Amino acid sequence: MAVIVRIPTPLRSLTGGNEEVHVEEAGTVSDVIDRLEVKHAGMKDRLLDDKGVRKFINIYVGEEDIRFLDGLRTAVKDGEQISIVPAIAGG
Amino acid sequence: MGLTAAVIGVGGLGAPASLALARAGVERLILIDDDVVDRSNLHRQILFRDADVGRSKLDATVDSLRRAGLKTHLDPRPGRLTPANAAVIDGCDVILECSDNYATKFLAADVARLRGLPIVHGSAIRFIGTAFAVSGAGGPCYRCLFEDIPPGAQAGCDVAGVVGPICGVIGALQAHLALTAAYGTLISLDGLRDELRVRSIPARAGCALCGSSPTIDAIDAARYHPVEAEEN
Repeated sequence: MAVIVRIPTPLRSLTGGNEEVHVEEAGTVSDVIDRLEVKHAGMKDRLLDDKGVRKFINIYVGEEDIRFLDGLRTAVKDGEQISIVPAIAGG
Repeated sequence: MGLTAAVIGVGGLGAPASLALARAGVERLILIDDDVVDRSNLHRQILFRDADVGRSKLDATVDSLRRAGLKTHLDPRPGRLTPANAAVIDGCDVILECSDNYATKFLAADVARLRGLPIVHGSAIRFIGTAFAVSGAGGPCYRCLFEDIPPGAQAGCDVAGVVGPICGVIGALQAHLALTAAYGTLISLDGLRDELRVRSIPARAGCALCGSSPTIDAIDAARYHPVEAEEN
């Protein structure tokens, strides 16, 4: 089992076009991002700055925004889905 | 329906939103845009015809809605929403933010909050789109969701492309949210997965616009430029 990370379109250039990435052995959202970085270099910088999650990025565990949980320390379980939702500007 | 709606941007989102609102019987539409119709717009900007290429989008929108025989009073306001002309939306009951750039999205969010007006934000690019309705009475607001303008250049629909029906769905959803006042609702459409997700967004206590100690209490033009990307 693994955590399933939904990759938004603007970040799929880092995942070879894959819209989902499976991450194993992660206990928190922070762990997930570290493991994503190992598999897809550059991902961490697109998601985080020195203060935490970038201001124009939202990360959801299931249907919950991690800002309203424990932030990057939010626990994740096998089979859970993590969604990365960036601001988009087109119209 | 004695409602006045201001539509910021009459492109891919604003066109279906305006049509839906007019057909729903909205009394007046304030239409705001500074662009002209390009041939590349026609697949998604459903109020325009081949003959409109090169014309002002506002003129073409007004003509199209009038051809449809709708009774809605149309009030075109040429130009872009800027920090200096926020009064362009005066007199409206609800704002539909259908712009294609972050600066206008954040400016519209701030203008709406500071004037106590509800606003429905829309965005669409490639195969995805979002619609988010914000109450005039407070959060959750656009800055609860996305705190500030992303740094660096943005990829708009002209560069990244957008699937026409995504704009149609999101624009129609914006009109729907404006009419139903379903505030705090974020609707996300993933056109590749045929998936529509509806989330209730909580207000964020630390939000600079609607939080417990807001720091945005006036429109400052310097706030609506993208900050430079950090050196790495």
